[in-house]
Amino acid sequence: MKKILFLYLTIINIAFGYNYDNVVLKAQASIFPKIILLDKKIEDKLIDGKIVYTIVYDKTDYFTALSIEKFINKNFQGHLGAYTYKINLVDLEDFSQETQTSAIYVLNLKEHIEKTARIAREKGIISFSYDINNLKKGLMFSLVIEKSTVLYLEKGNLYTKKIDFVEALLQMVRFVEKDYTYERNEGNMEYNNRFSLKKIYASLI
Amino acid sequence: MKFGFFKNILITSSLSLINFSNLNAQSNDILNSISNDMNRFNTIATITKQNEHYQPYIISVFKGKELENLGITNLKEALQLAPGVDITTDNINNKTPIFRGSNPLGYGQTKLFIDDVLVNNLFFDSYSEYLGMPIEMIKRIEIVRGPGSKTNGVNAYAGSIKIITYAEDFKDFESQDKFIFKYGSYNYKMGGFIKRFKTDNLDATIDFYYQEDNKKLSAGPDGYSTGSMSINGLYDNTGLSQNGHAPVWLKDYSLGLNLKYKDLTFKGRVLDHTQGSAYGINLSLPQDRDRVKIPNYYLELGYDKNINDFHVEIKTGVQYDAFDSKAKLAPNGLIFMDAYQNSIDGSINTVTFPDGINGEHLAKQRTLYQSSYLTYTGFDQHIITTGYRLLKEETIDMFSKLSSWTTGDLALVDYTDTFPFFNKNAKRNVQIFSLQDQFRYSDNLNFIYGFNYEKTSYKDAGLEPRISMVYQQDLKNIFKASYSRAHRNPSWQEMFTKNNNARQGSTDLEPEKVDAFELAYIKKFSSDTYLQSNIFYLINKNQIYNSADNPIYRNVLDTDIYGLEFEYSGHITAVDKLYLNYSYVTGNSKIKDTGVNTHLTNVAHHLAKGYYIYNINNVLSLSGIIKYVSAKSRISGDNRAKTPAYTTLDTTLNYKNHKYNYNITVGIKNIFDANVIYPSAPNTYIEDYAQEGRTFFITLRKEF
Repeated sequence: MKKILFLYLTIINIAFGYNYDNVVLKAQASIFPKIILLDKKIEDKLIDGKIVYTIVYDKTDYFTALSIEKFINKNFQGHLGAYTYKINLVDLEDFSQETQTSAIYVLNLKEHIEKTARIAREKGIISFSYDINNLKKGLMFSLVIEKSTVLYLEKGNLYTKKIDFVEALLQMVRFVEKDYTYERNEGNMEYNNRFSLKKIYASLI
Repeated sequence: MKFGFFKNILITSSLSLINFSNLNAQSNDILNSISNDMNRFNTIATITKQNEHYQPYIISVFKGKELENLGITNLKEALQLAPGVDITTDNINNKTPIFRGSNPLGYGQTKLFIDDVLVNNLFFDSYSEYLGMPIEMIKRIEIVRGPGSKTNGVNAYAGSIKIITYAEDFKDFESQDKFIFKYGSYNYKMGGFIKRFKTDNLDATIDFYYQEDNKKLSAGPDGYSTGSMSINGLYDNTGLSQNGHAPVWLKDYSLGLNLKYKDLTFKGRVLDHTQGSAYGINLSLPQDRDRVKIPNYYLELGYDKNINDFHVEIKTGVQYDAFDSKAKLAPNGLIFMDAYQNSIDGSINTVTFPDGINGEHLAKQRTLYQSSYLTYTGFDQHIITTGYRLLKEETIDMFSKLSSWTTGDLALVDYTDTFPFFNKNAKRNVQIFSLQDQFRYSDNLNFIYGFNYEKTSYKDAGLEPRISMVYQQDLKNIFKASYSRAHRNPSWQEMFTKNNNARQGSTDLEPEKVDAFELAYIKKFSSDTYLQSNIFYLINKNQIYNSADNPIYRNVLDTDIYGLEFEYSGHITAVDKLYLNYSYVTGNSKIKDTGVNTHLTNVAHHLAKGYYIYNINNVLSLSGIIKYVSAKSRISGDNRAKTPAYTTLDTTLNYKNHKYNYNITVGIKNIFDANVIYPSAPNTYIEDYAQEGRTFFITLRKEF
């Protein structure tokens, strides 16, 4: 009986895997953790002196979450800038106000994205999303491969006193508001691979 | 006191400034790092066609892993998924993908590249020998419809197919070693592996596969029934016509080696392809072990270097191909004239071949090529590329052996010098110069324009312009427009075949030419859901044609083709993938020397394909493929009924073991045993070429 129950739980746990794009996953896993370092208030978000990067996944995407963890560990070797980091894989159902984390990365959840985003907002932490469509549900950043790689930021989710990004990052991203469309009036229509580093550095001074 | 106060302010300010400077320095480093990452992923996305919708041509990209899970077993099956692509065959089972109905009688209308090396053989200008390439050897297939993709001096007339093997390598996207075993109907057996070696400067990939089957397909009555090797009033051999099974078996060995050492590359492949003689080179049903070898070898050295704003790409290579047939060409009891003597003096002497005619024919070709291209990226909005490609093509070996025309004895006589099937001195030199500018007018509007200029030692293609535009209105709406002119040079067999009742070459042939107008609109519903639609109009001139009545190849076909294509990719639920496409093509042809006007013939006007993959869980996926090919009308003067339409349905179950990293895939193709028929030319096999019915396969793939 135990074996049957275990098998059942295993099958339930791995049921319904989403088709993720490997290039997008790896681009996000390479870039998102670095964005955390561009928050001037990062010190406030450390947990026991570490950056905790939480990957929130649906049961079905456990293997995907695991592969991202492996990829990040291979690339960052335990250090994000001057900080050590820890990656937590948290099932959506276990993610709550009590979850100790510095930032979250949300895979494709079938439901409760708004709830996850709300918790992130209330905790004042940075949230990243695999799917850009989830920015309108309250998550903060996503990355899309169009003609080139574009980093999107939902401006409406930015206004929290607990997060303060360096100005240069805001020049680098493309803002998205309610829909998956360009925001035409922000003057940042350029593709990010063509952004001017000189301009960004100038804004830092 | 005052001094202390100012001192404190000074110290505090200094510390703040230091902290601020440190922060800035750190931020600079992080931004630099993010910028580098983005550029790196841009490069990967561009090379891997991740951003296919922004490319200035009509392209469909299929990923090998997904095709494996779908149960696609080889390149031919993968191409059949693409919009507007149909497959045809001929009497030696030289299978050809037909893009948008463009000249189903010609072979070299499309080009095949493997890891950027053009591999069409010189003899037919086809790549049938590569269509059986196992899908497990292929990382990605990029299919460009229309001539829009011509790069580095290569003309793709109706389309181009780029195969990228697992030799492609990017940081974080390293290919894994693997081995594959496959078994299927017709006692199909396949084994292969991919192995990579990597050091700091050297990157090497070896792939190998062996495959064979014993496939025979029901065939007949053969070409003798329609008068092949019969001459009205003189010789009637129609009674020798046979029914039976056409040997369409195959046996392939392939070894590929890709090396990269700093800026140098080496690409090599040896494909030893042997196949059954199918329907007979002289349209007599062959014996089971009769065979045609179509080997294809290439070796290319390259130098690739970025120097400031310049990018240099130099390549030099050699390719060998051959047509090597060994078969019984005519049945026992054939009575015919002494064709050899007839070729000398026109006399007609009757010869009886009590044991039929055996034949061995070889034509071996070598192509040497060299190209140099220079790209300049120093201008703000322009990327300019210019360069040349030189080719020296020649036949380097030929023999022609047949049973004796004089005595009718079965023993082979060497007719290489006296009655050859091919011009053993066949040669052609080609020089191509090209210039292209990629012009970024704005972030949303990009152009590519340029031209190819080509000279050959026969008829020149001359100047061929091209302009294309991509306009990205917003993230959801992309528009493309293009005009291009391209050509196809006559193939070796169209130019140099001799002493053959069915085919006579001509060196007076002009290149076939096409002016292509294309418009496309891509609607992106989300990052992974899109609908691509396009319309096209192709004006084809001087298409090469021959017939049983007049076997000499000549430029007599002018064809206007127009049509549309839709391609959708998306999903119904979060755990599946749905892919659908539909294409419609129509047009008119004019045979200039007979003045006959016809609708587009031998072409399926409607093609609809689709597949669905449902991920039952992270371990199992179930998929289905459906393909519909509409009926094909016959060419003028062929009174047979249309080649019938057919619909096939395949299904596949894939199991992935995460712990030991292996897959088992089982599938059934053509579940309902649909009658898949490829059309035969008039006065050959009147019942056309029936293809296989229901088949099955099982594959084991293990990655390391």
